Amino acid sequence: MTTADQIVPIDGEEGIVSARQLARDVARTLGFGTVDQSRIATAVSELARNVVHYATEGRGEVRIRQFTVDGGGAGIEVVVADAGPGIADVDEVLQRGFTSGAGLGMGLPATRRLMDEMEIDTALGRGTTITVRKWRR
Amino acid sequence: MARVPIVRVGPVLISTLLSGLLDQEVLQLQEELMDSIEQSGARGVLLDISTVETVDTFLGRLLADIAAGARLMGAHTVVVGLQPAVAVTLVEMGLEFKAVHVALNAEKGWALLRRLLAP
Amino acid sequence: MAEQAMPAQRAVTIEEQRRTIDELETPVLQVWDSVLALPIVGSLDTARAQRMTEALLEAISSTGSDVVILDITGVPVVDTATAKHLLETVSAAKLMGAEVMLVGIVTRTALTLVHLDIDLSSVITRTTMAKGMELAFARLGLEVVRRAGSGPAHPASDGGGPL
Repeated sequence: MTTADQIVPIDGEEGIVSARQLARDVARTLGFGTVDQSRIATAVSELARNVVHYATEGRGEVRIRQFTVDGGGAGIEVVVADAGPGIADVDEVLQRGFTSGAGLGMGLPATRRLMDEMEIDTALGRGTTITVRKWRR
Repeated sequence: MARVPIVRVGPVLISTLLSGLLDQEVLQLQEELMDSIEQSGARGVLLDISTVETVDTFLGRLLADIAAGARLMGAHTVVVGLQPAVAVTLVEMGLEFKAVHVALNAEKGWALLRRLLAP
Repeated sequence: MAEQAMPAQRAVTIEEQRRTIDELETPVLQVWDSVLALPIVGSLDTARAQRMTEALLEAISSTGSDVVILDITGVPVVDTATAKHLLETVSAAKLMGAEVMLVGIVTRTALTLVHLDIDLSSVITRTTMAKGMELAFARLGLEVVRRAGSGPAHPASDGGGPL
């Protein structure tokens, strides 16, 4: 069973805070514990920030979906999409850890570690859509 | 002026970060802290993040940068009040706080600074 | 309407059950003012390690403890995965301002860790809980001294000095 998507448009830095706050609230409603709420909020923060920094005009959209599963489980799915330049080398970006020098890492390895599932759909010139999910037993 | 005030107590600068700070507000805080250290000759910085619910790689790295910059100007930085959920998340992300001192709360942070600043 | 209420109720029950399991399997003991001990018995999978870490951090927060002693005497096999979980628990506890010690490293464990080339250089380690306590006391500026003429006869001690 799913409920309606909740959407947070990203158009500047404020979107990072709004998106992660909404994700945290939805996670709490779904019964995720405080640490999972933190993992989810932090992952959304990373993804939303990438939109602000790398997407065209820093614009994109965060879509949050809730799932409830027969047997009492629940899940949260967050889809972060932008119409930016796209990621040239996904593998390279997933390897990239935190750079001690200049240059913002994209925080994707960190995001993957925090969430249960992550899918990246991207192509040069076509934008990027990253989907992450976390399940609660 | 940043939304986050910087208070000076003796040789220590104290700043309590709020939850939901925008990136530019955090960067502004960094700049003002650096300026304050330079102007006041402060030897210690206490950053209270006990009300900060989310510490992502941006804020994490910024805290580390503040500590590094402060160190170059002769000041020790202690970050206090990491929420348990935040601590677990930071570790799982692989973000290390190598050059940053941490303490459970402001009281312990003070005690630590006193030890660090002792001649 | 009843169907919509069910998931929320279930969520609460699941949370309660989880808390009960936590309390039973990962007892965090306050062994001294400011010192917490966490005796780990059995194997550590990811889920259990996470529950253990959360319980420990909550305890550090609520008791304001400065020292944490993780005792792995009761962990049968310390492999790469277990070591990774332990290191994460150690790192998280350190972020809460605590000094962390890992005790219960017996010969077999030490050999395994060396063989697996696991780097525990960032952690203070000792063989027994007693040694961990000794170090904890030292860190807190405390000393255990035998009062002259009291306690069971101890041929090895002559009435003074730490544990």
